[in-house]
Amino acid sequence: MININNVNFHYKGSKEAGLHDFSLDIKPGEAVLLCGASGCGKTTILRLINGLIPHYYKGELEGSINVNGKDVPNSELYDLASVVGTVFQNPRSQFFSVDTDGEITFGNENLGIEPKEIIRRKDEVVNELELGPLLGKSLFELSGGEKQKIACAGVSALMPEIMLLDEPSSNLDWKAIDELKEVIKYWKSKGKTIVISEHRLWYVKDIVDRVIFMKEGRIEHEWNSEEFDSLTTQDLSELGLRPTSVEEKYIKEFGQGIFSEDEDSDNSIKRYENGVTLKDMYFTYDMPKYFFRKKKLNAADSAQYTLAIPELELPRGKVIGLIGKNGAGKTTFLRCICGLEKDCTLKITSDGETVTGKKIVKKCYMVMQDVNHQLFTDSVRAEVMLSMDEEDKAKADKIISDLGLYGYEDTHPMALSGGQKQRVAIASALAANSEILLFDEPTSGLDRAHMMAVAEMLTGLAKDNRVIIVSTHDPELISLCCDYTLCIEKGRLKYLRECQ
Amino acid sequence: MRKLELDPRTKLFMIFAMSMIVMVPAFSTLQMAIRIIVTVIPILLMMLEGKYAAAIRFAVLYAAALILQHYYLSVESRGVFSALITGYCSIVVQFMPAMITAWYAIRTTKIGDFMSAMQKMHIPDGVSISLAVVMRFFPTIKEEYENINDAMRMRGIAMGGGKVTKMIEYRLIPVMFSCVNIGDELSAAAVTRGLGAPIKRTSARELKLRAVDYATMAVFAVSTVLFMAAKNIG
Repeated sequence: MININNVNFHYKGSKEAGLHDFSLDIKPGEAVLLCGASGCGKTTILRLINGLIPHYYKGELEGSINVNGKDVPNSELYDLASVVGTVFQNPRSQFFSVDTDGEITFGNENLGIEPKEIIRRKDEVVNELELGPLLGKSLFELSGGEKQKIACAGVSALMPEIMLLDEPSSNLDWKAIDELKEVIKYWKSKGKTIVISEHRLWYVKDIVDRVIFMKEGRIEHEWNSEEFDSLTTQDLSELGLRPTSVEEKYIKEFGQGIFSEDEDSDNSIKRYENGVTLKDMYFTYDMPKYFFRKKKLNAADSAQYTLAIPELELPRGKVIGLIGKNGAGKTTFLRCICGLEKDCTLKITSDGETVTGKKIVKKCYMVMQDVNHQLFTDSVRAEVMLSMDEEDKAKADKIISDLGLYGYEDTHPMALSGGQKQRVAIASALAANSEILLFDEPTSGLDRAHMMAVAEMLTGLAKDNRVIIVSTHDPELISLCCDYTLCIEKGRLKYLRECQ
Repeated sequence: MRKLELDPRTKLFMIFAMSMIVMVPAFSTLQMAIRIIVTVIPILLMMLEGKYAAAIRFAVLYAAALILQHYYLSVESRGVFSALITGYCSIVVQFMPAMITAWYAIRTTKIGDFMSAMQKMHIPDGVSISLAVVMRFFPTIKEEYENINDAMRMRGIAMGGGKVTKMIEYRLIPVMFSCVNIGDELSAAAVTRGLGAPIKRTSARELKLRAVDYATMAVFAVSTVLFMAAKNIG
């Protein structure tokens, strides 16, 4: 089905990983997992199969690639479109339409398929992937998981024999990953050939027939599913891979715990030495706007609010993992703490001093999921100094080198790697003396080595008596660095407890 | 109530006629009357989309601007204050109606429908694809802009430290970076699904001009002709 023979590839004008004398044969109906550290060439292989290399991403290519009888370098991309379908990592940037229906039919319309046949295929896909409730909606209203499902449907509607998935779970929560897994299983049952590149191994482990471990553009190991199953977490971590199984307690916490209504609910307030207290955290997105004056949010009406936490005390010097399913209010919680929701009535008390309203912004800082949004200047040093009330170069340089960015002071932040950008954002938070640091999904799409680095950094940051809150879907991150887990359900506090 | 669904071609015509009527200078009473009548249409369209408050707010602003323009401003008006009022009035009276119509058209048109309408008008694919990408990008730019604005507020630099240039620079640069990135990923994803194939594109939904389309177009055509004629006569 897929035949890659002695391929050498270098991206043009980029240091991005290429491939060295790479050969791979994939049989029809086989499901193959590509794993390995970031930059090992997984994505490059998918691009070879779907023809984006050499047709879209240019570079020096030697060797032959044959997909379902088509010679890829000498075929046109639109000829490959009906043979190979690709689901990409980032749901927000793989849509051409703004509505779900249009997105599902997009590929077929491009290829000039008869309108009747397009509708038939669309109905079939909608039926099989159970997309009924999502039809007729704007794509911008959907959650990440729903977007990814529509992406799968858009690809499926072209009826290709080969399905490629490039880190499809990076931006998904557990429930969405489960649904994605069902889609992949369905494709497999239909006899499609599947190639998945992924860091999260636990959910694909049962689906794949063969696992290929790559390093620096070469195949380093190959396992069949039984061999792969027998590898221990220890073996995997030596290879720099994330575990294939998730500890029992996390399955409970992430899998069922956060999806069941009342299990283990405990919202009593615990006191911590020198803790930071959040009080009157009320917020709603449905404020009566326009003509009426806004009514101040208060405890009495809190039953209808999006977020209502009367009181919560957070321990200092610890890393707190924030969990909860998508739409439970984690993001709203984070936005309120860092003062982005002006109508939130939150009061933060630390060291006997209480702040509200605009002053909250000064106390807290959030490292966003897409860190590109929060880098504004043309050098790392300028970025850090921008946060200071009085510019202090020596202090800025110290913060920069403490975070392992020594030597990058004059580099443009956009020229750094993802992990380095994250650290620049943290550096600016430290420069502003923020006591409470919030992280929104800092490890989505990271390999094991990078995840370890993030975990280590979080622990280090907590040591300076700060409050660190990390919103995450990765149980591995929780087990690596979190001292407490804070669970939110429907905008209400479910529990805050110490990790065992 | 069933939603009013206009053909993309009708909407394009509407924008075109609307811009002509509100932007070309009006002198006679008949012209003013036509202008006011067509302006009611975008207000109704906003209401259809459920934006009642915004529609009423616009209606009030529009009325105020008209009254001000008519009773308090003349060619002899002098001074900073009247200059400001003149500016406000001309923006509200001359630009807002066309802007609202365009907003309505973009908001209610699906990209697939737009592409097939363009095809029916025999516009080359290159042009319609580029325009479709622009439409696709409006919501994305908005999302990115909101995120960046949040990030700036967190840093306390939303006002750029009092410098207008910084205020714009800090917003524009990250927006540009992320739009370039998204655009690149977007086109990679689109070509793997056959965009750009030298084949006549088809459409899952057949577009047909219905009675309501013809009626709308007729209203605008008549208004435009009358407006132009009035100008030449009067």
